[in-house]
Amino acid sequence: MSGVPDGAALAAARIVDAVADAAERWTDADLPARVRATRAIVQRTGYTEPVVDFALDALFGGLTRDALRATITGELGSLAALDGFVARAGRPDVHFRGVERVAIVSSDTTVGVAIPALVYALCAKADTVVVKDRNDGLVAAFAETIAEERPELGARTRIERWEGHDAPQARAALQTSDVVVAFGGATALRAIRDLLHPEARFVPFGHRTSVAYVTREALDRAARDSAYAREIAFGIARDALLYDGEGCLSLHAVFVERDGALDPVRFDGLLGDALEAVAVEFPASSAEPAAPGAAFAREARFRAAQGRGSVRGGLTAPHLLVAGAPLDDPPPLLPRTLASYTVDGPADVANYLRAHAVPVEAFAVASVDGTIERPDVLALALACGAVRLCAAGAAQLPSLSGEHGGTPRILPFVRAIVRDRDSR
Amino acid sequence: MNPGDAFPELAAAWLRDGREWSEAEFERRALELYAYQVERNEAYARFAASLGFSKARAPQSWRTIPAVPSSAFKDATLTTFPARDAELVFHTSGTTAGRAGKHYVQRAALYDASLLAAFDRFMLTDRPRLRFLNLVPNPRFNPHSSLGYMLGHAGVLRGEGPPAYFLDGDALDVAGFSAALETACAQNRAVLIATTAFALATLLDTLEAQGRAFAAPAGSRVMETGGFKGRAKVVAREELYARAAAALGIAQSAIVAEYGMTELLSQFYDTPASRGTAVRVKAGPPWLRTLVVDAAGNEVSPGTTGFLRHVDLANVSSVLAIDTEDRGYAVDGGFVLLGRDLDAPPRGCSLDAEELRARVAS
Repeated sequence: MSGVPDGAALAAARIVDAVADAAERWTDADLPARVRATRAIVQRTGYTEPVVDFALDALFGGLTRDALRATITGELGSLAALDGFVARAGRPDVHFRGVERVAIVSSDTTVGVAIPALVYALCAKADTVVVKDRNDGLVAAFAETIAEERPELGARTRIERWEGHDAPQARAALQTSDVVVAFGGATALRAIRDLLHPEARFVPFGHRTSVAYVTREALDRAARDSAYAREIAFGIARDALLYDGEGCLSLHAVFVERDGALDPVRFDGLLGDALEAVAVEFPASSAEPAAPGAAFAREARFRAAQGRGSVRGGLTAPHLLVAGAPLDDPPPLLPRTLASYTVDGPADVANYLRAHAVPVEAFAVASVDGTIERPDVLALALACGAVRLCAAGAAQLPSLSGEHGGTPRILPFVRAIVRDRDSR
Repeated sequence: MNPGDAFPELAAAWLRDGREWSEAEFERRALELYAYQVERNEAYARFAASLGFSKARAPQSWRTIPAVPSSAFKDATLTTFPARDAELVFHTSGTTAGRAGKHYVQRAALYDASLLAAFDRFMLTDRPRLRFLNLVPNPRFNPHSSLGYMLGHAGVLRGEGPPAYFLDGDALDVAGFSAALETACAQNRAVLIATTAFALATLLDTLEAQGRAFAAPAGSRVMETGGFKGRAKVVAREELYARAAAALGIAQSAIVAEYGMTELLSQFYDTPASRGTAVRVKAGPPWLRTLVVDAAGNEVSPGTTGFLRHVDLANVSSVLAIDTEDRGYAVDGGFVLLGRDLDAPPRGCSLDAEELRARVAS
């Protein structure tokens, strides 16, 4: 780090500027670094280029100066609190001082999931090591761009390969970090947690899933307004198929209320059409039907033959819609597979999610104006443990200025140091 | 005429002479049974019709007979007779929400004939009298367990004395089992230990913790079945068998894996030639055949991994062709069973079905 100015001396506002400028450069799909990264992601994950482009546009388009400032100000009260003590009305002065070392572990292939955490750790002026999948070059490439903006920030960032939590480098990083952010399954998270210093702050993001709810009011409007009907069907389809349905924001279940002017069966038909359209816009990583979905598809075909529900895709298409799925069965947590359940109301869904112990990340609602205007639906969304409520079609576009996975963005990376005014 | 009437004699004949059925013979019997079933089994007929089959357009080969998914037994009543007349009703394992399927069996005598013929042929080739030490559900308390029924029936008819049970729900009576095996050793009476893989692993954990090992009398054997379906703890088969051999004093070649399903009235076993080898081949009686198919249901070439589709002509009163989620590949003389967990977990941060099951279990 010799010859490079100390990043801690940089004002938070300058760090935000550097990150935002770097992100803005990455919004250009022709940026050579992004072109290389896109190619590498396509190769590594199998996701097709339109899918990767969607992910990168959403990611870097969201890391704006305004969004970063708003997030930090919202969580800490001001940017200045990262640089020194600030006065607060009715409370002691506070300085949100970044922890010394942060480790971010990301062994899953979700595109760029570690980047927002890295950005906020840098804004907190922490030395940050990102331990990532061995073939994931995106974080390193973006870190380089940030370093080009501000070499001090480059010096604070280290990128390492994830070779398993038992690998010496990973162990060292985990054991010496003040804060460890980890993305992964329950087994990996448990193993990582066991390695940490007892006082280390652990911020785990486990595997979850997302669901959608279509209210009867939305179906009333859909019956009158075919463009709106197609829009919500397309939105749900896109939320389900992006990233091959492998993200925690990927929809696997959509609950459609009875008694709307548009019958759930007709809505399911629109949804089937929408899935086919989305599959063209965002092609699957494989053109073949996914083997894991085959058994689910066969079950559904049998039920359909008995007059219960219907099936679209599956045997010949790389996506599957099972309409009128039985509420007795758990959701199909399978790639590019969506089950549609016809329900009387939120109580049915609450029972379903409880019976199957479904951990919900996002609760997407197709309603008349995109917000959750019905109190019973809002109550369901809150009761089911969802950490994000959004409009159908927006599940895969999380705001980077909102909390992530129920956790603030920058707060985990700072210590609040208070100064009593009387002691000055 | 009910095709089931002739079945016990067919099974007995095979047991007597060991004659395998030709492709043509199996084909004829399978197509006859299919025609019988679609005539009487409405749910099956509807399913066949959805695939384009009708009286005018019947399958031309046993290989193209429509196969229902095993889950169909929970979605419909699959019978060729009024279900209330069933002599046996077996329940499939439920899902997380507890929805179990039911396999209604019109005539117990048919199931008895099918299971005993294969059991005798694959497990009791040398016709011994063995003491049955069962680590499977006791049929007296689990009347709807097809496994419990099978081993209860075989134990009563083929065992030396009534079978003993050491499994109650998930609770294993290791002390009782040890005492029974100790007695058998002292009396030099060979035993047949019928066990699920999970119960065997639990038994071995306890015996090893106690530092206890047996030398089972010559002729003793283990029939392992059931895998680790729905269990958090999974032990590799090779490891399990090596530990069983060491703890029970029974050679690995005398540990035989049975593969059956509630939805089938016939069972597969490790072929004698493959026992004790790394790759065990499954085979069954001549009225039970298996196809390996791809995700779209098309048969794949030998050696290629796919889903197992079983055609069981003992399933007279339900459906003869069943699609399973089990994977395997065809080899000469049978197939190799690979299990279900072959798919890579999702690559992203989405929950997968296995994780959901673990959450429900916890």
